[in-house]
Amino acid sequence: MKRWLRRSQLWLHLPMLFVAFLFLAPLLWMLSTAFKTPDDIIKGLGALRWLPRPITTENFVSVLGKAEEFPIWRWTANSVLVSLAVTALVLTVDSLAAYAYSRLRWRGRDALFGMLIATMLVPGQVLLIPMYLLIRGLGWFDTYWALIVPAGAGAFGVFLLRQFFLTIPIELEEAARIDGCGAWRVFRHVILPLSRAPLATLGIFTFMGTWNAFEGPLIFTDSLSMRTLPIGITIFQGRYNIEYGPMMAAAALAAIPVTIAFLLFQKQIIKGISLTGLAGR
Amino acid sequence: MRKSDGLHGLMFALPHLILFVVFLLVPVLYGFFISLHSWHVLAKSHPLVGLANYRAALSDDIFWIALRNTVSFVVLVVPLGNLVSLLLALGLAALRRFGTVYKVVYFLPVVISIAVVAVLWRWLYNTEIGLLNLYLKNMVGALRTIGLPLPAFEPTPWLSKPAWVMPSIALMSIWWTAGGNMVIYLAGIHNIPDDYYEAATLDGASGWQRFRSITWPLLRPTTLFCLVFSVLAAFQIFGQSYVLFAPGSGPARSGLTLALYMYLQGFNQYQLGYGTAVAYLLFAIVLVLTILQFRLLADREEVRAAR
Repeated sequence: MKRWLRRSQLWLHLPMLFVAFLFLAPLLWMLSTAFKTPDDIIKGLGALRWLPRPITTENFVSVLGKAEEFPIWRWTANSVLVSLAVTALVLTVDSLAAYAYSRLRWRGRDALFGMLIATMLVPGQVLLIPMYLLIRGLGWFDTYWALIVPAGAGAFGVFLLRQFFLTIPIELEEAARIDGCGAWRVFRHVILPLSRAPLATLGIFTFMGTWNAFEGPLIFTDSLSMRTLPIGITIFQGRYNIEYGPMMAAAALAAIPVTIAFLLFQKQIIKGISLTGLAGR
Repeated sequence: MRKSDGLHGLMFALPHLILFVVFLLVPVLYGFFISLHSWHVLAKSHPLVGLANYRAALSDDIFWIALRNTVSFVVLVVPLGNLVSLLLALGLAALRRFGTVYKVVYFLPVVISIAVVAVLWRWLYNTEIGLLNLYLKNMVGALRTIGLPLPAFEPTPWLSKPAWVMPSIALMSIWWTAGGNMVIYLAGIHNIPDDYYEAATLDGASGWQRFRSITWPLLRPTTLFCLVFSVLAAFQIFGQSYVLFAPGSGPARSGLTLALYMYLQGFNQYQLGYGTAVAYLLFAIVLVLTILQFRLLADREEVRAAR
């Protein structure tokens, strides 16, 4: 019996399971509430009932049905479009720059790279007001440009990819050079094919970070049709306030795609964080 | 070895460099420029006022309220959050089976938007019918029936009583972010060679002794890294307060944070100069704290290792 207890690690699993319940409970309660009738939300709560009785899709219908007031499909499309565009932009410019900062020799390289790294300590909020004026000045306010282009400025991806490029054996590159490849072909045919894993990590981080971005879309857009899902959620909250059924339905709709994406890519995401030491925000 | 790639280097760096200069470097400098002016959004001219915005902020009661709230959030969330992350990582490292399942569950909240998190927790924190108070009520009730001399349950005013507001936001934030640092601590633990533990076990060291003299000292670079970035992130708290409270920012402004105050000054009061001054004060505080942490907690070797 004692040996079995040791081997099964039951003493460890019990607290871990309890904590796992604490971490999951809020999300399960969100789903449960989303399928409850208003009556059930108040009375069922008294009994702390986790299963809705009766199960209703009324909350989802009311959330999805008011396209005029809450264009949730539009917000979802905006979130998808902006997240994809930012991911493509970041992967492109960051991989090019990371190659220049890791493998090419040119004047001013190290000074510039030092400056990039230094800006990683600047809190994002310092940028919000000047960026708002800049975006107004460019005529980008309340457009996709405002949500996409500035996101390519960060130094994190350059830093991450550079760290990886530095580990690629220089001999591979020298060999290609001797065969007459220029910098572009080395980058395209030697460096990039070897860097699928870090590129995937950066891509997933960028996508999820953009999907959940809050301050930027809040400040750089204005009209109902240009909002993204997270801002849409706050618009719901302003309207429904204490009607928790529709609120939780909307929250669940926003949380489900990113949860599925996480479950699909959890291995790469978790490995990426332990490699880079950043949780993507 | 070739000498120089000359123009090629700059060409490859250029697309990112242009974005970096226009949307990061220029805004940082431009922001400081704005903060030296009286800059109302609608005004035609923006007179230079020197450091007046900074002086005004430092003698503004609400600025100090926001700073105090932000500091109390940092003080709550950084040590507690890191403790939770470290404990979870230690638990995961000790597990022989099902580690991935637990890891995925603990990490899941990290990927969810702060808007969803805050809306959800506002529901859990509901004083009358929120999940937390209902469970607490049942627990207190159960303990009373088995004879513990507890007072009758009073619903906790999580988000309606000023003293509770920051602890409530901190609890919600720990749930949201603990998984991120947990993964970093776990990677740090896995980097410690197994031999050390085997040798210590042979010498008869207990679990606590092994933690005390192997894990904890060797984990120092990781701990430093997590602490520095937690402080940096915690000082910037914005979304939590914005979604939970917004305009007035909670009972007796108890949910108002520095970043939110900057936002409200800039985009509700249209005082962009004053708003950026608040942002730069936040920047200065964070910068000083980061440097202090590196100085106090690490020698140069460790800083490099943490990178």
